[in-house]
Amino acid sequence: MNVPLTHLLTLAGGLFFIGIWCAVTRRNLIMVMLGIEIMLNAAALAFVGASLRWQQMEGQAVALFVLAIAAAEVSVGLALIICIYRRYRTLDPAKVQ
Amino acid sequence: MTQLIQPQIVWTAAMSAMFLPLIAFGLILLITHRWARVSAALAIVAAGASLACSVYLLATLHDVQIPLRSTQTWMMTSDFRITFGYLLDPLSLLMLVIVAAISLLVQVYSLGYMTGDPGFARYYAFLSLFAWAMLSLTLAPNLLQLYIFWELVGLSSYLLIGFWYEKFSASEAGKKAFVMTRLGDVAFFLGILLLLMNLGNLDILRLNAPETTDRLSPGLLTTAALLIFGGIVGKSAQFPLLTWLPDAMEGPTPVSALLHSATMVAAGVFLLARLFPFFNASPTAMSVCLAIGAISMLMAATMAMVADDIKQVWAYSTISQLGLMIMALGAGGYAAGVFHLTTHAGFKALLFLCAGIFIHAFGTNDMFTIGQAGARKRRIPMICLIVAAAALAGVPPFSGFFSKELIMARLADHPNPLWLIVGLLGVWLTAYYTFRLIFVMLRPRPGVIPQTAEGHAHHGAHRFAEGAMNVVVLLLAVVAIVLGWFEKPISAFIVAPHSALAATGGHHAWLLWVTLALAASGVALAWLEFGRRTATQKGFVEKMPALQTLFANRWYLDRLYRRLLDDGIYRGLSRLCAKNDQKVIDAGLDELAGGTVASGRMIHGLHAGMIQYKLLTISIALGLLGIYLLF
Repeated sequence: MNVPLTHLLTLAGGLFFIGIWCAVTRRNLIMVMLGIEIMLNAAALAFVGASLRWQQMEGQAVALFVLAIAAAEVSVGLALIICIYRRYRTLDPAKVQ
Repeated sequence: MTQLIQPQIVWTAAMSAMFLPLIAFGLILLITHRWARVSAALAIVAAGASLACSVYLLATLHDVQIPLRSTQTWMMTSDFRITFGYLLDPLSLLMLVIVAAISLLVQVYSLGYMTGDPGFARYYAFLSLFAWAMLSLTLAPNLLQLYIFWELVGLSSYLLIGFWYEKFSASEAGKKAFVMTRLGDVAFFLGILLLLMNLGNLDILRLNAPETTDRLSPGLLTTAALLIFGGIVGKSAQFPLLTWLPDAMEGPTPVSALLHSATMVAAGVFLLARLFPFFNASPTAMSVCLAIGAISMLMAATMAMVADDIKQVWAYSTISQLGLMIMALGAGGYAAGVFHLTTHAGFKALLFLCAGIFIHAFGTNDMFTIGQAGARKRRIPMICLIVAAAALAGVPPFSGFFSKELIMARLADHPNPLWLIVGLLGVWLTAYYTFRLIFVMLRPRPGVIPQTAEGHAHHGAHRFAEGAMNVVVLLLAVVAIVLGWFEKPISAFIVAPHSALAATGGHHAWLLWVTLALAASGVALAWLEFGRRTATQKGFVEKMPALQTLFANRWYLDRLYRRLLDDGIYRGLSRLCAKNDQKVIDAGLDELAGGTVASGRMIHGLHAGMIQYKLLTISIALGLLGIYLLF
């Protein structure tokens, strides 16, 4: 039995908004990046759901690409955060000017 | 005869009669206002030429049967057409001559009265404006043109009543006159609009035609007639809008003479006569005319019985006589009303101008003081004053006698005897209060003779000035004596176009004697109380304190209006309007401004340079865009 597309999209949308919420409200750069990761995963979930719905493999391929890009992005992002912490001794974006 | 009249010449004469005073007004205000004498000469020449043209028109056209009209289209829409021009028929010709003559006489008289006044040129400019407005009003061929000049008459009388504007009471009186007449004018204008909407034209001749009055439903006809009558009530100072006229004597005395005889207040009665067949088609409107005329006549006559101010007595008598004219017209006496308007113009101007001579000489308005200061030693004005007073009281053979006789005969023909009784009572009251004033001035109370305040010295310029004043009053006295004998031709002349309406009433021989007896008894009572050597100079009204205060306070009309104004308008309506202004309009604007500032405060927090806020704004904008595009 297939999960209906609407359920998947609702879940993906919910995750996406949680990600935005996290990225916008948290005063910690690591948490902001975590929010962005959640948004990326929500998008990947939507692609997988679409590939399930139309029985096409391209969606799953794109989801794999997204995972790869997310890993790359996390590594670059964490490196930047460490640099910022060394320079400013804080991770609060309001104080990094 | 008709073929001999050159339309070109008639046109020129009518236009010059109308517009010469306007040209004088413009020239004085623009060019000659620094040279008092030149300005006066200009105004007098214009008024004289205007009078000459009017007399020429009257002489040429007096036996023309069909009214002459000349109009130009001024405004045209699909529904109606407004024209400008003139209408020459017996009524307008007669009124034209009266207005031009009185204006000229008053202007000559003012040479003496206003000598040395700093506003001399301005005074003559306003007099010319006044004359122009009134002359054009008499010639107006349609109601809209008449209304325009009607308002101009109101404006110029405002300017002249408040001529001495430094005096607080004068400027207040001017405002009062303007505002109270405006009240009536609003009704008049509504009446005009009603007629325009229902008939599509305002031509006076067509309004008066029976076809037009048949086209309107009776209710509509009565409404329109009553609305127009509202304007007449305001202009002619009838009940309930009569209180402005006694205050209007704050202006210079010659202005009062002009205002009370031929121009301002006469305009109301003139309009009623102008639309007489129209009013005649509505019995209700005619009854209202009768009632309002009767109330105003009696009320004003009682006020005149206790007034001590000489000009005020004449002001009340004007209201009273105008009431009588409106009664006459309301009873269907077209010729009687118009003839009384004519004679009244003559003798009322004379009364005011004589009073003006005394006021000029003695510097006071109080009749007892004038009497003590030696009014009887000034022969010419005193004799003229007596002549005019006799005419006002209806003593034969002066002009007022004849016109009052006509009116009484007309009232006797009316089915309701009440109006005749009221009219006769008015005759008696008029004779009494008029001769009360005469006897007070002739037989001064023994007492301290006050020093004349002004003490006008008699050098050359003043001798000329007094000469001008005396000549004018003598001329008017002759008119007051002679005019009565022309009753038959003038009545026949006026009635000619309305031959259908000139129903000959029954002959009332007894009425003549009753009227005469009443006038004589009024004079006799005045003599008993004021004229005898041992007289106490206290009228019978003054012995009844309640009546005395009632009459002296003008029946508390002013008080009532003040109360209405304070409680009804200021405390009720004005306060509500002020509340609306403060709480709704002002507060609404304040809220709008405050809301804008507050939302600005809210949004300016986003511009803190924080990356997260920018992200928030981007996602909100994208979200909104998505919602917009999807739905």
